[in-house]
Amino acid sequence: MGLVDVIKKGAFVDILRGMSVTGTYFAVDKVTVEYPREKLQTYPRFRGVQALLADPETGEIKCVACMLCATVCPSRCISITGEETSEGHSRPATFDLDLSRCVFCGLCEEVCPEAAIVMTRHYELATFDKDDFYLDKEKLLANQVHAHKELYRQAAGGAALPGAAAGPNGAGGRVHAEGSER
Amino acid sequence: MSDPVAQLVFLIIKAVAMPLIIITMVAFAIYFERKFAGFFQARVGPTYLGPWGSLQSFGDVFKLLSKEDVIPLRSDKPVFKLAPYIAFIPAFLVMAVLPFGPVGGEPNLFGHRFDYVIADFDAGVVLFLAMGAIAVYGVVLAGWSSNSNYSLLGGLRAGAQMISYELAMGFSVAGVMVMAGSMSLVEIVDGQKGAFWDWYWIPQIVGGIVFFIASIAELNRTPFDLAEAEQELVAGHLTEYSGMRWGMFYLAEYVNMIVVSGIVSTLYFGGWRAPFESWNVIPGPIWLLLKICALIFIYMWIRWTIFRYRYSQLMSIGWKVLLPLALANLAVTAVVVSVVG
Repeated sequence: MGLVDVIKKGAFVDILRGMSVTGTYFAVDKVTVEYPREKLQTYPRFRGVQALLADPETGEIKCVACMLCATVCPSRCISITGEETSEGHSRPATFDLDLSRCVFCGLCEEVCPEAAIVMTRHYELATFDKDDFYLDKEKLLANQVHAHKELYRQAAGGAALPGAAAGPNGAGGRVHAEGSER
Repeated sequence: MSDPVAQLVFLIIKAVAMPLIIITMVAFAIYFERKFAGFFQARVGPTYLGPWGSLQSFGDVFKLLSKEDVIPLRSDKPVFKLAPYIAFIPAFLVMAVLPFGPVGGEPNLFGHRFDYVIADFDAGVVLFLAMGAIAVYGVVLAGWSSNSNYSLLGGLRAGAQMISYELAMGFSVAGVMVMAGSMSLVEIVDGQKGAFWDWYWIPQIVGGIVFFIASIAELNRTPFDLAEAEQELVAGHLTEYSGMRWGMFYLAEYVNMIVVSGIVSTLYFGGWRAPFESWNVIPGPIWLLLKICALIFIYMWIRWTIFRYRYSQLMSIGWKVLLPLALANLAVTAVVVSVVG
């Protein structure tokens, strides 16, 4: 051990340097997100629970029951039965999605030729009732309000609808949850 | 009321109030430990119970009281039950000799003299060292009686740790004793009359640093928490303890921290004295409390910065660095004191 080392140790140089690092962290803004009260904004491509989009003008479901999503789904959680409407279009009679098996890979959204099924920014899916994990066509259509902003705007014909206001802009920032208690 | 009766009443009041104050301080020391642990890691620490989470410790205590108290079947049961008390009581006893304000002099309360110390014991420093040594038995016995390998290793380490720091600790205090010409903590504070540059931390800076490092080992805190060492020994001597028996050890740890901070501030930082003589309008107990809080903060800062030293490293620090330094400090102090005054 050289003289320099002895002096360094005697003056606690390394220890003081370490303490200055922790002291800096003591003073800086904290990184914690206090989840139920504060939430992170989702990123623009966040893959939350699925939604089926409807045509904003006619209100008709965009899905044509082509079965591509049901085919590509790696966990086989989508089951569709198609039907023919009076105008001769193909439409899903039932569209069921088993969330308890879904892995949120987003392949259904990717493969959809009609951009009818999309992943949304809604991720708070915890529930006490298992039946809530079985999403039928009505529930999936109701999930439209959670769709990412640009998709929703597309679906709504350019005008963002209320409920879709907190879009992905400034994603990753903190938002204080409104009305939620500690 | 005659004076002996008044003194007895004062004594009882002090003896009852002091532990209560210390326990309350412990509750907040634990809260601040967790809060600062968060802050030092850029987290927020406890936030839910009470404003800024300040009632967290009380929640912890109720949780501990409601927990099942498990005693291992093959443990040495009487010793297993005794160990928490052996760790817990010595910490409180030291509080009796710690002056928290002026002692002696004119009558100052209802025509009687109120001494700001429970017992002006002639060998207060020795009592502190002795109680520190006894408290280690709590850890060693806990390790031995648990009949668990982790506990045993923890107890073993505590014993080995004690012999490597205690000697250096004793010798570093000896420098202060020589300067004050007394082993009484009251007289040591009397020897530090004046502003902060008259305190012993300047002439005794080497001994002070040795004492402070040894006190971290005495407190079983990181970087010298070898007996607990959760990454290696689960919880060391505490592995088999649960419920409030475990809480006793935890409590003892923090009582010890407050008491040792009090001793450090008394030995080196003027005890209850204000940093400037004109600031003495603020009473002594508050200055002592501020000094204790500052030292506890430094202990926490060190804990959340420095890694645990290896078993052998603590020994080599204790025997090869701290002990020679303390001896040299004592020799120089003795020579200077005998030549100068």
